[in-house]
Amino acid sequence: MFRIPLLVALALCVAFGVGIASAVSALKATVGFGAIALGPWTAFPDAQTAKADPYARAHRARAGQLLYGGAEGLQFTAAVDDAGATLVSTCRYDITGLTPPARFWTLYAANANDVALRPGPELPSAFNALTVLRQKDSTFVIHVSSRAQPDNWLAVRETTGAFKLVLTLLDTPTAGSSGVVDLTMPKIVRTGCGNA
Amino acid sequence: MRSVLFAILTGLVGAALLHIVIILTLPQFTGKDAYTRVLGLFEMDSFFALSADPGPTGLANDDPFLRVAVCGFSIDGSPARFRASGTVPFWSLVIYDANSNEVFSMNDQTSVNGNLDLVVATPIQLVELRKTPSERLAQSIMVEMPEEQEGYAVLRALAPTGSFEEAARSFLAESSCEPFSR
Repeated sequence: MFRIPLLVALALCVAFGVGIASAVSALKATVGFGAIALGPWTAFPDAQTAKADPYARAHRARAGQLLYGGAEGLQFTAAVDDAGATLVSTCRYDITGLTPPARFWTLYAANANDVALRPGPELPSAFNALTVLRQKDSTFVIHVSSRAQPDNWLAVRETTGAFKLVLTLLDTPTAGSSGVVDLTMPKIVRTGCGNA
Repeated sequence: MRSVLFAILTGLVGAALLHIVIILTLPQFTGKDAYTRVLGLFEMDSFFALSADPGPTGLANDDPFLRVAVCGFSIDGSPARFRASGTVPFWSLVIYDANSNEVFSMNDQTSVNGNLDLVVATPIQLVELRKTPSERLAQSIMVEMPEEQEGYAVLRALAPTGSFEEAARSFLAESSCEPFSR
C-alpha cells in the first residue's frame, strides 16, 4: 500500500542528498577548471574574468575574496611539497630557486581557508623580493619551520597543522602568457619532521 | 526489487540535474560574494581601507605586504572617476562588475605619470564625454562598462618593509572614488 510513496521518497532522498553533497564537495575540492600547475604550485589566471567556468564562478561567489586582476598579478598556492605530501607545520621545508619574471613577489603561509597565518609580530611570517636574502647566483633558500632557522626563516606555529604557501607575483607577464608551462617555480622540499 | 533500483536511478538523474542547478545559481544566492561584502561596508563612492583582521564583512588585507582599499560604485546616473597619487613602489587597481567579473585592471606602470586617473562609464556616457572633451579629463583613462551599472574597485598599494607603510596608507587615504560631473 505504501510502496509507491516509499519509492518516490527514496528517489527524492537520493536526488537531494547526492545532488547537494556532490555540489558542495565539488566546490570544496576544486577552484574550477583552467588551472595552471607548475610542480606543487597552482594558479587560476582566468578565475576573475567573465571567461571563468561555472565551477570557478560558484567557488569565487562562495569564497568572496578580492581576486587579482590580470594587470595586477597572479597568485600561486601550494598545499603539497614537490613529493606530493601535504604541507604540515610539524615538518620543515626548504623553498629553493627563483620565481618567474615579475616586478615584485610576496610569499606567506595561509591556513586551509586561505587566511594568512599570523604566528605573531615577533616572528618572521612572510617574505618578499626585497627582504629575502639571496645567494651569489641570486637564487634564494627559505626555510619553513616552527623552530628558528638561520638565514631566511618563515615561521609557522607547530600547532597550525596543514597549511598552504601563497606566492603572489605582481605585474607579471605570467598572468597573460600562454608560455606558462616553460616557467620554473621554486621547489618545496621536505627536510625533516618532528625532531628527526 | 526492480522498482527500488528504478527509484534510485531516477534519484541519481535528479541529483545530476540538481547539481547543475546548484552550481549555476549559487553565485546569485550565496550572500558571501565579494560584491555583497563590499556593499556591507556601507561605504559607497569612497575607498575604504581594509584592516589586517577580517571585519564584520570578512574582507581583510590578506597579503602582509599589500594594503587594500575597496570602493563600491554605480554608474547609473553619472560616470565614476577614480583618482590616486603618491609615491608607493607599486600600486594596482582592478574594476569588477557586480558579478565579480573583471572589467579593467591596471598598475602604476600602465598609468599616466604614475598617477591613477580613471573614468568608468556606460557606452552612452562615454560618447557624451568624448563629444565634449573636458579639460579635467585630459589625462584620464576612459573605460567602458557595457553590461552592468554597478561594481566595485579594488586598489592595492605595496609596502615591502615597515618604512613604506606610511606612504602606502596615505596613498590609499588620499585616493578618491566619486561620481564624475562636469
